[in-house]
Amino acid sequence: MRTRFCSIAMAIAVLAAVPLFGQGFVGDLTSKDPPKGLDGPAPRTPDGKPDLSGLWQRPYVPDMSKNNKDGTQIGTPELPFTEAGMKAWKSYDAANGDYTGSCLPFGLMRSMNSPDPIQIMQSPKYVALLYEQNTWFHIIPIGTQHHTNWSPTWFGDSVGHWEGDTFVVDTVNFNGRTRLDTIGHPHSDALHVIERFTRTDAKHMGYEVTIDDPKTFTKPWTNKRIFTLRPDWEIMEYSCEENNKDLYDGHIKAPPPPK
Amino acid sequence: MRSTLAIVVAGAALLLAASFPLAAHHSFAAEFDAAKPVSLQGMVTRLDWMNPHIWVYLDVKDESGSVAHWQCEGGPPNTLTRNGWSKDSLKVGDEATISGFRSKDGTNTCNARSIKLPNGKSVFAGSNDDGAPKRPTQ
Repeated sequence: MRTRFCSIAMAIAVLAAVPLFGQGFVGDLTSKDPPKGLDGPAPRTPDGKPDLSGLWQRPYVPDMSKNNKDGTQIGTPELPFTEAGMKAWKSYDAANGDYTGSCLPFGLMRSMNSPDPIQIMQSPKYVALLYEQNTWFHIIPIGTQHHTNWSPTWFGDSVGHWEGDTFVVDTVNFNGRTRLDTIGHPHSDALHVIERFTRTDAKHMGYEVTIDDPKTFTKPWTNKRIFTLRPDWEIMEYSCEENNKDLYDGHIKAPPPPK
Repeated sequence: MRSTLAIVVAGAALLLAASFPLAAHHSFAAEFDAAKPVSLQGMVTRLDWMNPHIWVYLDVKDESGSVAHWQCEGGPPNTLTRNGWSKDSLKVGDEATISGFRSKDGTNTCNARSIKLPNGKSVFAGSNDDGAPKRPTQ
């Protein structure tokens, strides 16, 4: 009860700090040194679409059920678990094999939730997400259909389309071996992710993700956040394997492949 | 002198940037024990400035003069770089105090949350919001 009250109080506090999500959608980012001289509307590409390109700083989202303190990320306080979903959540123990510790692919959501910046590149046919985290990438073709005969993957099969000025990404066909966030919220191979990227002005991007997984949750739920353009940063190489002492010294376990 | 100045600058930058979310490669709970805080004062014997986490090696003397070898994990070098650290921020031979949490396996391994540098500045060194408790008090 107390937890629920705190969640509600925090939600109200965050909503007060971020007056209207989607209309401006800008919290107080002054503590993060937003770059100067980037005011104005979102730039557009020659074909008239909002230009999502750039290096974006993102709030770290280790727990998608929570909000962060500066109002740049709003979670869903009580996730609507199915019975199977609750069982998977309650039984999770990172000490028994957090797959990221052995540098296995984080998968789509944990990559989107990581705190490292992301470089977005855009053309009329593709949007490419270049994650600094472990130097992964994910390419989203625009206006195509999902594959019908591909094997499930860590990052899933994404297709994109424009809804007005919002770029919508629909992703299915996950292998079910990942977790949604660092704290370990579960999902199944029935995971269906809908992401909405809206560049609200020159230096901010609204990001809203809907998690739809009928095996794990009774209904879809969302998480919203703000990305900040960082033209003063460059993407850096990140090799997860080069000195992964935690694994090499046997301090953490690598989960075996599924049988 | 130059290295001392670099550390001062790095320390100041880190203090200013204390609210930055630092990257986490894996969950804190996968390896470390939130119920086992530790504070180590000793001499830096090695710094591994490599992904996915930096590692600081420290020789710690107890009251009887015997030396224990410790190794402590910090944040990823990319994130620490953006927050003012460099591979030169800690040198072999520096005296440093590390506050953090011990590993679950009982070895002399820790997760560093803050490091007190030779100039007396305490800097955040860990992976914020990775499930670890709040920074231990100094």
